[in-house]
Amino acid sequence: MTLLTLKGRGMANKFFVKLLVSEYFVIVLSIVYFLIISIFVPSMLSGNNIKNIFSNMWPLFAVAIGQTFVLLLGGIDLSQTSTMALTSVIGALLISSRMNPDVLSNSPLWGVIISENGGPLGKAPIVLSVSITIAVMILVGTLVGAINGTLISKVNMPPFMVTLIAQMFYSAIAIYLTKSQNVIGLPDAFCAIGGKSFGFIPYSFFITIILGVIAHFLLSKTIRGRWIYATGSNIKAARVSGVPTISTTIFVYAASGFFAAVGGVLYTGRLMAGRPTLGDGQLMDILGATVIGGTSMTGGKGKVSWTLFGVLFYTIITTSLSQLKLDSFVINVVKGLVILGAVTLDVARTRIQQKGTLSANAKSGKKVTLNG
Amino acid sequence: MVEREEILRLEGITKLFFNICALKNVTFTLKKGEILSLIGENGAGKSTMMNIIGGVIQPEEGSMTLHGKLYTPQRTIDAKNAGIAFIHQELNLFNNLSIIDNIYINSFARYPGTPFIKKSAMRENIRKLLDSIDLHVSPDMMVEKLSPGERQLVEIAKALSGNPDIIIFDEPTTSLTTRETRKLFALIKKLREQGKSIIYISHILADVYELSDQIVVLRDGVVVDTGKKEDFSMNRMIVSMVGRDIKQMYPAERPVAQAKKLLEIENLSQPGIIKNISMHVDAGEIVGIFGLMGSGRSELANIIFGLDPYSEGMIRYMDVKLNKQDPIDRIKRGFAFVTENRREEGLLMEFPVYDNITLAVLRDYKKAFGLVDNAKLQKPVAETVSELRIKCSAIKKNQVKGLSGGNQQKVVLCKWLLAKPSFLMVDEPTRGIDVGSKSEIYNILNNFAKAGMGTLVISSELEELIGICNRILVLSKGEIVGSFNSNNFDREVILGAAFRQNISNGSTNIV
Amino acid sequence: MKGSKNLKLFFLKNMAFVLFAVVFIIFGLLCKNWFTLTNFENIARQSSYIGILAAGMTFVLLTGGVDLSVGANMFLSASICGLLIVKGWPIWAAILICLLVGFLYGCFNAFFIVKIKVLPFVVTLATLMAGRGLTLIITKSEAVSMPASLVSGVGSGRLFGILPYPIVIFFLIVAAASIFLKFVPLGRQIYAVGKDAEGSKKAGINVNGVLAFVYIFNGVLAALAAIVSVTQIGNVTAGFGVGDEFNAISASILGGTSMMGGIGTIFPGAVIGVFLIQMVQAGLVYLQVDLYLQPIISAFIILFAVFLDSVRTRYIIKLEHRNIRTEEQVQKTQKGFTLRDLFDREK
Repeated sequence: MTLLTLKGRGMANKFFVKLLVSEYFVIVLSIVYFLIISIFVPSMLSGNNIKNIFSNMWPLFAVAIGQTFVLLLGGIDLSQTSTMALTSVIGALLISSRMNPDVLSNSPLWGVIISENGGPLGKAPIVLSVSITIAVMILVGTLVGAINGTLISKVNMPPFMVTLIAQMFYSAIAIYLTKSQNVIGLPDAFCAIGGKSFGFIPYSFFITIILGVIAHFLLSKTIRGRWIYATGSNIKAARVSGVPTISTTIFVYAASGFFAAVGGVLYTGRLMAGRPTLGDGQLMDILGATVIGGTSMTGGKGKVSWTLFGVLFYTIITTSLSQLKLDSFVINVVKGLVILGAVTLDVARTRIQQKGTLSANAKSGKKVTLNG
Repeated sequence: MVEREEILRLEGITKLFFNICALKNVTFTLKKGEILSLIGENGAGKSTMMNIIGGVIQPEEGSMTLHGKLYTPQRTIDAKNAGIAFIHQELNLFNNLSIIDNIYINSFARYPGTPFIKKSAMRENIRKLLDSIDLHVSPDMMVEKLSPGERQLVEIAKALSGNPDIIIFDEPTTSLTTRETRKLFALIKKLREQGKSIIYISHILADVYELSDQIVVLRDGVVVDTGKKEDFSMNRMIVSMVGRDIKQMYPAERPVAQAKKLLEIENLSQPGIIKNISMHVDAGEIVGIFGLMGSGRSELANIIFGLDPYSEGMIRYMDVKLNKQDPIDRIKRGFAFVTENRREEGLLMEFPVYDNITLAVLRDYKKAFGLVDNAKLQKPVAETVSELRIKCSAIKKNQVKGLSGGNQQKVVLCKWLLAKPSFLMVDEPTRGIDVGSKSEIYNILNNFAKAGMGTLVISSELEELIGICNRILVLSKGEIVGSFNSNNFDREVILGAAFRQNISNGSTNIV
Repeated sequence: MKGSKNLKLFFLKNMAFVLFAVVFIIFGLLCKNWFTLTNFENIARQSSYIGILAAGMTFVLLTGGVDLSVGANMFLSASICGLLIVKGWPIWAAILICLLVGFLYGCFNAFFIVKIKVLPFVVTLATLMAGRGLTLIITKSEAVSMPASLVSGVGSGRLFGILPYPIVIFFLIVAAASIFLKFVPLGRQIYAVGKDAEGSKKAGINVNGVLAFVYIFNGVLAALAAIVSVTQIGNVTAGFGVGDEFNAISASILGGTSMMGGIGTIFPGAVIGVFLIQMVQAGLVYLQVDLYLQPIISAFIILFAVFLDSVRTRYIIKLEHRNIRTEEQVQKTQKGFTLRDLFDREK
C-alpha cells in the first residue's frame, strides 16, 4: 500500500472519529440512512411519506423537549405518557359537545358534570371553550410534574420510581374517569390545532417550533437554564454555589409535565378524541429519540436542538420500518434495539471524548493534577 | 546491635502522571523488624509511593526488590499475596456485613465439596486474632455498630489475617480516641517484636518520633532526608519537610483586625459533631482553625454555611441572626465558601471556566425574561480573572477540568470574589496544589483581608496557618480547645492543644 | 426525644412486619371469612409466582440495580414453552427450554449492563419493550394454552395431597435463595458489591461476575415464575406478566430491601412484602372495590413503600455520618451483646 493511501486512511479515521463525536452526528446519520433506505424502499421518497414524517415529528418533539429537561438534571420522567392520557381525557370531557350514554354512562362523572350534551364547556362559545380547555390541560400536566418534582427533591425519592408510580397512578385515573372509553364529539376548532395544516405545514409545527425555541433559549441563555445544567452536572457543587436545587428540580419536572400536556393537546386534536390510553407504548419513542439525540442520561449534557435531531432520526427510522410493511411488533423490537444501540454509542462517544481531552491537555503541556 | 536484614528495597522509582513528575528517583530500604516512618506534606508523594508498593499503579522507572527478588505487582492482589498488607486512611469495610464477612469476603472457608461457608473454623481464627489486637467483640458483630477506632482495628485484623511480612499504615490515628491510639502503638510495637516490618505514614510528628526506627522525608516527590530516628530532631523533620525559605512563601504583612464584627457564633452544637463552639471573625482578619482529621473541621464549616443542621446555639452575621439551613441567604448577605473538595463540591468539571466563575452571581446579572446578562459580566469577570492571575487562554471554551490544581482553586476563589463577599470561609485552601500556586493563593487571601474581608481558614497544615493568620483556633473532637494570637504562635503548643488528651488530662485550656 | 427517635428507627427497620400486622387486622375486621384457611391458601397461591419474582428481584436490588424486564421475560419464556408443547414436544423438555429462555434473557441484560456499562434501568426498559414485541411476533398475538395435564397436575395439584405445588415451589425457592445469600460466598459478595462496588473491587471481588450472576439468575427465576403462574391460569395471553416487575420491586422494597443496595432479605423481608401486597389486593376484591380503583390503590401502596425506603435511607446516612464518640460510648459497645441485639435482624 502506498504511503498516500495510508495517510488517506489515517485522515479518514480522524474524520470519522470527529464526526462521531460532533453535535451533528445524528443529523448526518439521519440523512445517510434516509438516502440508503430510499434505494431499497422507493416509496420513502413519495410526497405522501415525506409529509407523514413531517407531521409525525412535531407532537413527539414537543413531549421530548420535556424529557430533555429532566434528563439534563440526571433524572427521568416515565410519567409523560400517562400525563398525556390524563390531559387528553380531562380536556375531552370538558369540551365535548355530545356524548353517547351507551358509551360513557358508566363514567363516575356521568350526571355530575357530563351528560348527553357533552361536558361543561361543550356548549360554550368556541373561543372561550377551546382556550379554557387548553389552559386546564396544561395546568394539569404542569401540576402532575410539579408533584413529581417535589417528591424527588424534597423527599429524596428516586426519579424513576416516582415517575413510574405516577405513570401507574395517573393512567389508572384516566381510565377510571372514562371507564376505558374514548371521548369524541370534540369541536373542529380544537382538533385543528393538532390535526390541520396551514397549507403543507401542520399547525403543530408552528406551536412546537415556537415552544422549542423558547425552551432552547431558556436552557442556553437564562439563569434558570444555567442552574439546570449546574444541578444536573454536580448537585453538591451547585448547592454550595447558591443554586436553588430544590426549586430547580421542581421546575424541571413541572416543565416535563407541561410539555407532556402540550403533546396531549396536539395528539388529542389529531386523533379527534380524548383517549385514556393515549401515548401507550410511546415512552420508548420519547426516551429513545431524546437519547439518540445525544442528551446524556447522567445529567449536565444535552440540548433541545439535539433532541430535534434525535426525533427526526427516530421518525425516519420508524416510518421506514412501516413502509417496509413490517409487523408493529417487529417494529417494537427494532426500536428497543435501536435504543440499546444509541446508549451504547453514547457510552463510546463519551469515552472517546474523555480520551481526547486528556491527550490534548498532555500535548499542550497543561498540568493535570490528580489529588496527590 | 544486630544488623537487621533488608526486606524491601525501592530503587530509582519514578512516576509520571502525564507531564507531572509525582515521584523522582525514590530510593530507600526497609529492614526486617523495623518501623520506617514516611513523612512529608500534602502532595509530597506519600500516597503515590504507597500505591506503587501496593500494586495499585506502576512506576515508569525504577525497581522494587522484596526478600531479594524482583517485585512487580500489577494488581492489589499481587501485593497481598506477596505478604504486603495495606491499611488505608479511608477504611475499606462493608458496614452492612459482619467482621468475619469483611475479613474473609474473598476467601471464605467452605465445607469441602460444597459451596457452603464453614463459619466455625473461621470464627475461631478471628476470635484469636481480635484478642491479639485487643478488640474484644464478637466476630459476628456488624461493622456498622463499631466505633471508628474499632473499625480501624477490624481493618488491621483484616490486614493481619493474611499473615503479612510488611504492614503499611496510612494516617491510622485520625479517627481514634487517645486510648485507642495508645493501644494501636502498643500493637505496632508488638508486631515489630514479632519480626514484622512496618511503614508508618503520618503527619503527626510526635507519633512518628515515638514509633520509628527509621525516618524518610519526602518533598515534592523526592527523598530529601533519611536516617535513624536518633539522628533526627523535630526541627530537622520540619525543615526537611518544608524545605524552602518559609519567609518567601507567606505574605510579608500580617492581617490586622478591623473594628467591624462580621461573624459571631455562640454555643453552636450538633450532637456527635461539634460541641459548644463559640468564636468570632472580624473584618480584616484571617482566622485559622486547626485540627486533625476527625476533629470536625469540615463539618463545622458546612454547618456555618448552612448546608448541615445544628441543634443548639446561634450564628450571627453583621448582627443579624442567620436562618439555620439557608446557604442562599448567606450568599446574599456576603458569605462565600470554598469547600475542601473542589472536584466534588466546588466545580462543575465538565463545564467551561466561565460558567464556573459566574455560577454564584447569576442572580445579580439578570436581564429581562431571566436572561443572563453576559455583557454586564464581561468586565467583572475579566477583572477578577486577571487579579487572581488565572492561566487560561479561552475561559468560555476551556473546561475547568483541564486546568492545573492551582488554577482550579483560583477559579473557585474567582467565583466567590465576583460575588463581592464580605466574609470568606476556605477549607483546605492549598490541598493538592503545587508550591508556586500555594504562595499565590496566600497572597490573594492576604489582599482580601487588606480590603476588609473577614476570612476563616480551615486547614490541617499548621505551617500555612501560622504563615497567614492573625489568630488560630484549635479544634479537637468537635470542641475549641485553644486560641492563639500571632504573637504567640508556637507550633509545639498548638499541636499539643490539638492533641489535648496527650498533654493535659482532658481538661481544656482555652486562652 | 431519644425515645421517639428509637421508636422511629424501630418502625423503619421492621416496617414490613408492622404494616403486615396492621393491614391483616384491618381486613380481618372489614371482611367476612377473612380468617379462613381457604382465604389464606388463596392469598398464598396468588403470591407464589410474584414471590419467586421478588426473590430474584431482591438479588438484583441488593447490588443496587434493577430489572424491569422480568414481566416480558415471563411472557416470552411461557409462550415459547406453550408453543413447543403444542408442537408436540414432551412437557419436561419444553419446561427446560422455558428456563433456558429465561437464562438467555438474563444473559442479554447482563451483557449490556456489565460489559457495555449502560444503566440497568435503561437496558431492562429497552429489553422489556423488545421482549414483549418479540413474543407477540412469535405468538402472532394469539393466546397460547397450556395442556390440561400441567394445569391440573402442577397448578391445582397438591404435594402429599395437602400442600399446593405452586406454594411448595415458592417456598423451596425462597429457602434456597435465602440460604444462598447467607451461607454461600457469592451471596455475601452480593451484599458487599451492593454496599460498595469500588471497595469490593479493591478487596479482590469479581464485581462483574457478581453483577452478571444476579441478572442471569433473575432471568431464570422469571422463567420459573412464569411456569408457576401459567400452570395456574392455563394460558398465556398478551397481558401476561404486564406490571409484574413493579409488584416484585415493591414487594422487595416493602420487605426492607433498599434501592441503594447492600440491605435486604428474602426471608422474612420480601416474603412479607409479597404477602402484604397480595393481601391488600385480595382484600380489595373481597370488599368489591371498583375494579378501576384498584390500580390506583396499588400505586399508592408502592409509593408508600418507596417513600418509606427513602426516609429510611436518609436516616441511615445520618447515622453513618462521621461520628465523634466519647470514651464512654466506646466502652458501651465493647460490653458487647445487648438485649437490643436480639431484636435487630441481621442484614
